[in-house]
Amino acid sequence: MSARIQGAAIVTGAAGGIGLAICRRLAESGATVVAVDVADRLGATVADLESSGAAVIGVQADLTTESGLDAVLASLDRAAIALTTIVNNAGITRDARLVNMTAGDFRDVLEVNLGAAHRLIGLALPRFEHGTIVNISSRAYLGNFGQFNYSMSKGALVGLTRALALALAPAVRVNAVAPGLIGTEMSMAIPEEVREKMVSAIPLGRMGRPEEVAETVAFLASDDSAYITGEVITVGGGRSLSK
Amino acid sequence: MIRAEDGDLADALTSLSLPDGALVFVANAAVSDGWTAVLDELTAAYELSQTAVRAGGPIVYLLESDDLLGRRGIGSAMVACGLLSAARTLALETARAGVPVNVLALGATTTRDSVRFWVESLCRPNGPNGELIRLGADHLGKALP
Repeated sequence: MSARIQGAAIVTGAAGGIGLAICRRLAESGATVVAVDVADRLGATVADLESSGAAVIGVQADLTTESGLDAVLASLDRAAIALTTIVNNAGITRDARLVNMTAGDFRDVLEVNLGAAHRLIGLALPRFEHGTIVNISSRAYLGNFGQFNYSMSKGALVGLTRALALALAPAVRVNAVAPGLIGTEMSMAIPEEVREKMVSAIPLGRMGRPEEVAETVAFLASDDSAYITGEVITVGGGRSLSK
Repeated sequence: MIRAEDGDLADALTSLSLPDGALVFVANAAVSDGWTAVLDELTAAYELSQTAVRAGGPIVYLLESDDLLGRRGIGSAMVACGLLSAARTLALETARAGVPVNVLALGATTTRDSVRFWVESLCRPNGPNGELIRLGADHLGKALP
């Protein structure tokens, strides 16, 4: 168990596999989790967290809109809890080779994966006296066939991480986590033969678990990582090195 | 196609002899930290890169080394690191055709002649692909994104 995390922790993309694991793990560390997602299933996520004793506030919101961002901040105001942690985890994919990629698919991915994080941080910063920001990038920032939009958005998120780390030090630490293939609903939807081929290229021989990403996020959000800022930690089973 | 906001740099690049369909995309060093400005710049890169790829032309993204490190603001850092990741992905997509996609990062003392040399080198078929070349010395000992 890592160091305690005080105050409120915003987690976007909370209803997905990795998001739920992050919410659960931060709650275990003592944070009041503000679980944000656009999906209807957020209600089930919040109920799941509450049943395990977590302090959680659910906010169903589209973070690509001003009203969605306002809803998140309003929930913080109502709860009157100091904001100490932001985890930008919301993300989508719209894969295609660049020759075939539509402008709509390019823009949608950039807006959700990057724009939402950029705008949420900008609006939340005035409430941030000290704390941590963890941006969930992806191993795809190192390049991934058929993901020009996704890779660009996750690379730009690394750039955002670096620039904010310099700008906000020493009061706020900013880091990123780059998950590889993680066993979520999204990855389990990949055809089995394709998924097996992907797994065979992972030196550790398996997909990662959402809880393993969450553990890394908790480390970066806590004082256990008090001397770390501006870094990217890859949670990918060694896939960044193998053929 | 040369896309450059910087007049001097654009002049230096215009006289290059580049392969048909080539794109040299110079990231706008003056991009603001606002989301709209960042999205517009990345969208311009997407549109021009797609045109180049469809034409079978090589691509070089030019940006500032300081922006890869996040030293000059969040807008320019997001654009620079986003372009680097896009180049790495695109290089995978064009590798089989032998069409290179690379990134050239400029330092404070980089000369126009040096830029010209490296842009021509990075556009050559069967040369470097998916690479980042950093000129100058400010990046030495610092971490790659």
